[in-house]
Amino acid sequence: MSVDKLAYYPGCPSEATALDQDISTKAVFKALGVELVEVEDWNCCGAAEAEDPKLVYALNARNLAIAEKDGLDIVTPCSICYYNLARTNNALKADEKLRAEMAEIDPSLSYNGTVTPKHILDVLMNDIGVDELKSKIVKKVEVKVAPYYGCYIGRPLGTAFDDPDDPVLMDQLIELIGGENVPFDYMKTKCCGGPLMMTRADIAFEMARKVLETAKNAGADCVALACPLCGMMLDAKQPDVEKALGIKIGMPVVYITQLLGLALGIDPKSLALGKNTVDTKVILGKVV
Amino acid sequence: MPIKTWELDSNFKNEILNEAGGEHLTACYQCSTCTLGCPITEIVPSYNPRKIIQMSLLGMRNEVLSNPDLWICAICQTCTARCPQDVVVGDVLAAIRRIAEKEEEAGNLKIESPRPLFEKAFLHTVEKYGRLYDIGLALEYYPKREGGTVSGIKAMMNDYKDFGMRMAFRGKMGPLGGHGLLKGVLPSKIKKTDVMKKIFEKVEGK
Ligand code: SF4
Ligand code: SF4
Repeated sequence: MSVDKLAYYPGCPSEATALDQDISTKAVFKALGVELVEVEDWNCCGAAEAEDPKLVYALNARNLAIAEKDGLDIVTPCSICYYNLARTNNALKADEKLRAEMAEIDPSLSYNGTVTPKHILDVLMNDIGVDELKSKIVKKVEVKVAPYYGCYIGRPLGTAFDDPDDPVLMDQLIELIGGENVPFDYMKTKCCGGPLMMTRADIAFEMARKVLETAKNAGADCVALACPLCGMMLDAKQPDVEKALGIKIGMPVVYITQLLGLALGIDPKSLALGKNTVDTKVILGKVV
Repeated sequence: MPIKTWELDSNFKNEILNEAGGEHLTACYQCSTCTLGCPITEIVPSYNPRKIIQMSLLGMRNEVLSNPDLWICAICQTCTARCPQDVVVGDVLAAIRRIAEKEEEAGNLKIESPRPLFEKAFLHTVEKYGRLYDIGLALEYYPKREGGTVSGIKAMMNDYKDFGMRMAFRGKMGPLGGHGLLKGVLPSKIKKTDVMKKIFEKVEGK
């Protein structure tokens, strides 16, 4: 299937802590000839903090309804936004009463269930597809990568688009751009600790340490990921993890769109490769 | 810990069954798959979602609702993905947390974990601006957690001084941060904040 236009749901971190993900996502889709139309006046999806499903449904019904008016499917670079959009879509599609309940909160929440929410990794690999990507790749990114999927790509079942225990889409993308996946199976889908960062930093730091040190011990040049909360925990907070645990890690962490962008011949600055917390120069030296 | 049979509340499981995500609770056959794959159990060995479910089924309402472990679940949904009985374990725990919060609001329970304060502070910024506002969140959360403005700001600075500098230095937050001037410092406010207000009023019953 080919796509040429999608509604883009950036998610809150895209405006600040995950600016690098937002910039690189836009650059990559532009290079691939897919137009991203930002969901107008989008609101927060509720992230992991809205624990009441009704609240999640209401917040996301509005975003889905806006994309529905434009007749576009939604793509987001954030795994949690994806999970919330997708589970809202499933719930509202299946339940007329729930749809009516949403519309009653405000008419702008009236949603008919015609939008398919997607994660960027899904769109890149399954909609745009390997052949199309291959035809646009002009450089080899010969890095050793620890492909990190985190939580909502392979689970839970109703919204997942990859295998829960052994997801492959990112691995395939990395091979496609000339990279090498280091042995990382056990860690691929472990939680980064993000949701506990503000309330139990001790546990969250330990979770992040495990992911980062496993990547390091496996000989990775960098960790690749596809979620801004993972980016926050593993990259932006990495110096805090090091300080709190008295260790040195120094593991570069990049968004999958940054790596793909390099293979598409986009210059590092346009991929915001200077905005990652841990220096990414080691990667630039391996683009041939 | 002996079970206080005279305190068991046989209706507790129904309370959970009625919450979204709680539907399959009674299908649990105590296989422990949820606990075995849990990343929190790996770090805190006493953490045991299977046991929380068993206690809930038995009706140990007080013990379950006052269990501090409720608040260290990372909502990673590994348990949910692996349960052979389709128990939506992650959502069951969330449902139990919501019941605990209601009990606290009613004055029947004291939750020691700061997590409800954090979640509320997060959602308050969404209600007000339509999007997460990190600084607003922190300015509400830390003073509440520390029980005072001065100690709160101190704790916040302690956690975020270095982080803030890093983000400012990379142009992600601060005067030149984000996509525009003062992004990350000032909230990113949507136009339809009135709809946000309605959502929170009607869903949260405020
Ligand atoms: S995995 Fe499912 S059936 Fe097994 S103990 Fe956990 S909740 Fe019960
Ligand atoms: S959702 Fe919570 S209980 Fe379940 S595996 Fe993840 S951290 Fe453990």
